[in-house]
Amino acid sequence: MANLLYPGAQAPPAQPKLKSKQVSSKWAAHALTFLMVFGPGLIVMEADNDAGAVSTYVEAGARYGTRLLWLLLLLLPISYFVQEMVVRLGIATGEGHAAMIYRRFGKWWGRFSLADLLLVNFLTLVTEFAAIALAVDQLGVPPVWGVPIAAVALTALALTGSYRRWERIVLFLCLLDLAWFAIAFRMAPPAGEVVRHALLPLPPESGLTASWLFLVIAIVGTTIAPWQLFFQQSCVADKRLRFADLRWARLDTFIGAVFTILVAGCMMLVGAAGFERHWNFTDPAQMAVQLGALFGPIGKNAILLLMINAAVLGATTISLSSAWAYGEVRGWAHSLQKPVREAPGFYAVYALCVTAAAAVVLIPRAPLQLIILSVQVLAGLMLPSAIIFLQLLLSDRELLGDRFVNRSWNNIVNWTIVVLLFALSLLLAAQVAAPRLFPNE
Amino acid sequence: MHVDFDCKEQETRTTFHVVHPLDDAPEQKVDLEALGPMRMTAIVRICLLALRGYLLLMFGLLGFRVLQLAGFIRG
Repeated sequence: MANLLYPGAQAPPAQPKLKSKQVSSKWAAHALTFLMVFGPGLIVMEADNDAGAVSTYVEAGARYGTRLLWLLLLLLPISYFVQEMVVRLGIATGEGHAAMIYRRFGKWWGRFSLADLLLVNFLTLVTEFAAIALAVDQLGVPPVWGVPIAAVALTALALTGSYRRWERIVLFLCLLDLAWFAIAFRMAPPAGEVVRHALLPLPPESGLTASWLFLVIAIVGTTIAPWQLFFQQSCVADKRLRFADLRWARLDTFIGAVFTILVAGCMMLVGAAGFERHWNFTDPAQMAVQLGALFGPIGKNAILLLMINAAVLGATTISLSSAWAYGEVRGWAHSLQKPVREAPGFYAVYALCVTAAAAVVLIPRAPLQLIILSVQVLAGLMLPSAIIFLQLLLSDRELLGDRFVNRSWNNIVNWTIVVLLFALSLLLAAQVAAPRLFPNE
Repeated sequence: MHVDFDCKEQETRTTFHVVHPLDDAPEQKVDLEALGPMRMTAIVRICLLALRGYLLLMFGLLGFRVLQLAGFIRG
């Protein structure tokens, strides 16, 4: 069994040729180990602030000011608890989530989960490319050029045959989202009101309406998405995190959750600034144009580039979660560490997802609104059942042993989350099936 | 003199080798093939069967609604 730290005199003779970094203090060793483990947690969380999320958070701010900030704060521990379970499962078994469902719950559930994941992921990918098309258009690049260039860049990003290279590039893209802090700060939001609305769940000034409720559901669905479960477990398995890495992987996930919620809050604050200034926009690309009046053309272009960045982050992680899941269930080689010739099926699925989604966006009069609606509902339907499987797997002592299995408090928290998500899922499904049930304001 | 002192200190200092997970030797994880399908109680089986029915119903409803919105079915 591999150890994390080898005091120089005690290095096991069986592993003399391991490539390692040498440091002289325990603190430095811990810090370096954390940096080596760091990645999947931040990536899975920040990639969830994708194009759809930018749109949802900005819309929430534009319609209700800062009055939905409390929801983001509430979602912080929930998203951490859910993803922490995935980390434990991935480290304990070294396998992806799709493989786990297929092998522990049988073929029906394995295939159903995979088909559902592939469908939701593909539709989400279409929305990412739709956002890229909107943003490049505002930047003066025809979408017919911008979208294929983005698709080629996304494919090239994964085809390098190096997990580390992919991870470093994607981490850099995640950190670009720090720019949201500067933009939100520039908007000079009222600090007292921000703190009050972040800590106190207050109803909107117009009262509780169906559109408020569905925006709440959309924020929940945007912040906790099914593909994240599949992505992070496969990512942890592909990075070959070891048992001893668990605490650093937890810290990585926690930092990712905090960073992502803060960025989401900044997006909401930017939307709220538009609300204060009576801006009129229906998507973030139009909002960027309005922001241009405040920041000048550089600010406008920065927002548009951040939108493209959000879509690219979402697209690479979502496509990878599909490719990993498909490879796991089919028993194919599925690793970013392998060159294309050793895992052709895995890379083909990735490239196919990216190319097909880009192609759909370029079809004139493609039903994008219908696709966006389907994504929200499918994800809402899929999430509670995905978390039920996660909960059952994490309670499986035979699989995880005493060290990794859920504690009683884990189970109480997780079943509460499942009940809450099921209630929201039912509301959303009812709204889609019978829209007249919920009169709007 | 000063150099000698440094050398002695170097000899007694503990060093730590930190290995990246991708450079480390693979760990022995649980053998999923050997474990086989999960052993479930009757209640869990019934709940999963109910969940299957719920999901199929919801997907059917969603499919119907999408076809309706796309104009293939009049509603």
